[in-house]
Amino acid sequence: MINFEEELKKFKPSLEVEEAEDAIYDRDLTDMTDIMKEIIKEAKQR
Amino acid sequence: MGSYNKIIHLSNVLYNDGLEKANVRDLSGAAESLRKSLRYNKANIPARNLLGLIYYEMGEVVDALSEWVISRSLSTDDNPAEQYLDAIQSNRSRLSSVNQTIKKYNQALVYCQQGSRDLAIIQLKKVLSMNSGFVKGRQLLALLYMEEKKYEHARKELRLAAKIDSNNLTTLRYLREVEQHVQKESSSGKSGHRKKEQTASFQSGNETIIQPTNFKDTSPIMTILNLIIGVGIGVLITCFLIIPNVRQSAVSDARKAELDANNELTTRTQEVNGLNQQIKDLKKQIKEMESESDDTQKTIDNYEQLIAAYDAFAQENVQGAGDTIANVDPNLLGIQSRTIYQNLSTQVNEQYIAAVYEQAEQDYNTQNFPAAITGLTKVVESEEDYEDGYAIYYLAQSCRQTGDVENAKKYYQRMIELHPGTQRARSSQQYLDELNQQP
Repeated sequence: MINFEEELKKFKPSLEVEEAEDAIYDRDLTDMTDIMKEIIKEAKQR
Repeated sequence: MGSYNKIIHLSNVLYNDGLEKANVRDLSGAAESLRKSLRYNKANIPARNLLGLIYYEMGEVVDALSEWVISRSLSTDDNPAEQYLDAIQSNRSRLSSVNQTIKKYNQALVYCQQGSRDLAIIQLKKVLSMNSGFVKGRQLLALLYMEEKKYEHARKELRLAAKIDSNNLTTLRYLREVEQHVQKESSSGKSGHRKKEQTASFQSGNETIIQPTNFKDTSPIMTILNLIIGVGIGVLITCFLIIPNVRQSAVSDARKAELDANNELTTRTQEVNGLNQQIKDLKKQIKEMESESDDTQKTIDNYEQLIAAYDAFAQENVQGAGDTIANVDPNLLGIQSRTIYQNLSTQVNEQYIAAVYEQAEQDYNTQNFPAAITGLTKVVESEEDYEDGYAIYYLAQSCRQTGDVENAKKYYQRMIELHPGTQRARSSQQYLDELNQQP
């Protein structure tokens, strides 16, 4: 049985066009290749 | 295979998975795979561009724009993201319409949270008329219909959402719930109908006789009575069904009008805010230009002072040259002018101080102490020990004569420190003691 109030909480406001720039800047783009490079760098320093 | 190559391979595998899901319209599944692919390799340009396209298809235009902007910043060589962004940004009215859609959706969400479900439904219908592929909007509208017990409407919205994103969990969950309710309603409707039919037919020997359930004996009195009852029922229907319906319709129209007015107000407020910002920017520009104009005037005045000082020095008016050059700020001069200023200043300063001291000594000897203080202060500020300390000694004496006890004490003290053991130092000590004993 679906609970209306609980379901409603799952809907979040959408980003407006003016907010897109901030959203892009705030994005964490770290990926596995970055993590691997970091690990290799730390290993070399040891 | 190296670790790096493995990561790139995994990213590509997830991209292929996302592409396959997108081909069968499992957009949410495809988006999930593509997001994972980008977690392995953020520079997987086809994966990022496809994720943007999926967001765009699901009506999430800002998310799509974000992906394409990042994609373009990561690679500019034959990147389709460039075309996607150009296509959207070149069509200003489309972009504005998209933004309006998002604002209306967010407003609908606020209405839901405030409990104004009817207003939210009206708002969402508008959103979907402008952006029919907006899956999240359709799901919210379906949820509202479910809460209003309008399961057929909800089913219609959910089926449209499923046409865009076939395997969306939220859509499927809502659809299942809606189907259950629709089935319940239809089965209860059929059984009720059957009961009515059973009461309307009966067997008589070999024949089946069907008689209307509301069959009544129609005598004249009964006819009149039925007529009166019919009129009564008609009046009651008018009072309790038609009039409230008309009222409801009027209220609904008024709410629609209110909603339109609110939207208009929001748009106008945004325009006013934009214009206010423009006014602020223009005021700032005016201030900056005024400040620049002031700086330019200061620089011109500074050069004029330097020229005046040079002219006075050329005419051997050392006093005038010294007074004028003191007003020149070397920081406002160019490199060449600053060199000229430094040469002139050095030459003028020596002669100027000598001339000032000569005049001040003359004033001191004629007991014109205020004028002597003015001149000697300039001399002492330029060179504290000028004329073997005589300048500071005369200054201390002049201050004492004019009753400026504090400065007199200060200059006597410096005299004692600079030339200890001289007659002037001893006299200074004597005056200092006398001044210190004064109340």
